[in-house]
Amino acid sequence: MNDVLREEPALDVGTLRQAIQEEYDEVASHPQKGFHFHTGRPLARMLEYLDEELEGIPESSIESFAGTGNPFSLGELRPGERVVDVGCGAGIDSLVAAKKVTPDGRVIGVDMTPSMLEKARRAAEGAGLKSVEFREGYAEALPVDDGWADVVISNGVLNLMPDKDAALEEMSRVLKPRGRLQIGDILVQKAVPESAKRKIDLWTG
Amino acid sequence: MGFEITWRKDVFSDAPQAGSAENYGTLGINFRARKAANEEEWAAAMAALSCEVPAQRSAEAPAEKA
Repeated sequence: MNDVLREEPALDVGTLRQAIQEEYDEVASHPQKGFHFHTGRPLARMLEYLDEELEGIPESSIESFAGTGNPFSLGELRPGERVVDVGCGAGIDSLVAAKKVTPDGRVIGVDMTPSMLEKARRAAEGAGLKSVEFREGYAEALPVDDGWADVVISNGVLNLMPDKDAALEEMSRVLKPRGRLQIGDILVQKAVPESAKRKIDLWTG
Repeated sequence: MGFEITWRKDVFSDAPQAGSAENYGTLGINFRARKAANEEEWAAAMAALSCEVPAQRSAEAPAEKA
């Protein structure tokens, strides 16, 4: 078989988004199922979240946590600040942020997976945190005004974006001048071949 | 501006399901940066930018024979 016939088809963004949504819908609906990444409170401990940060956060939010880093280790969020959480999932980081910026600050969590947003909204209500809201949207087209945020956080999401430049441009757009970017994500130490980048299974697993 | 990776750690080992992370030496990281205060600061940062990326062997490339 020649190389042309072996080559993976071009990555279809719609198909990729659907596959990622299905994967994270499972993390929302069946968090104990077991995935190719760690989840929940054990993961939060591994990523060095402080007990006091998680205090008061509903277990329903923590159990579906699937981050890869810790945005809060990168700098303090101050009371009164505005924060955008890109790819907020079940809301754990948005809720931690809301605790830090309350009472006058605001947090907007954005995610594309409805089941995650539903869990996040219920968790915010359960925690009694009124300074946080959750919006459905894509990282490449954030439903947030220009220059609104003091800080953009994200955790384990940028690596799932086929157009990382667009996602980073959006993060920059919503930040104020001198606004801070505090991101947990992944780094690969071996180059990923172009052919592998077109395999949906590799993006989701 | 001020891009900095502050932390890296293997966060995929012993996950319940096998994945591709090990094949690529995948690590969890924390990184930070900030938006420029204005166009002048951004232009100055771009002018001073220097980035050297060491060559890496593709994960699909065959290992060299001893």
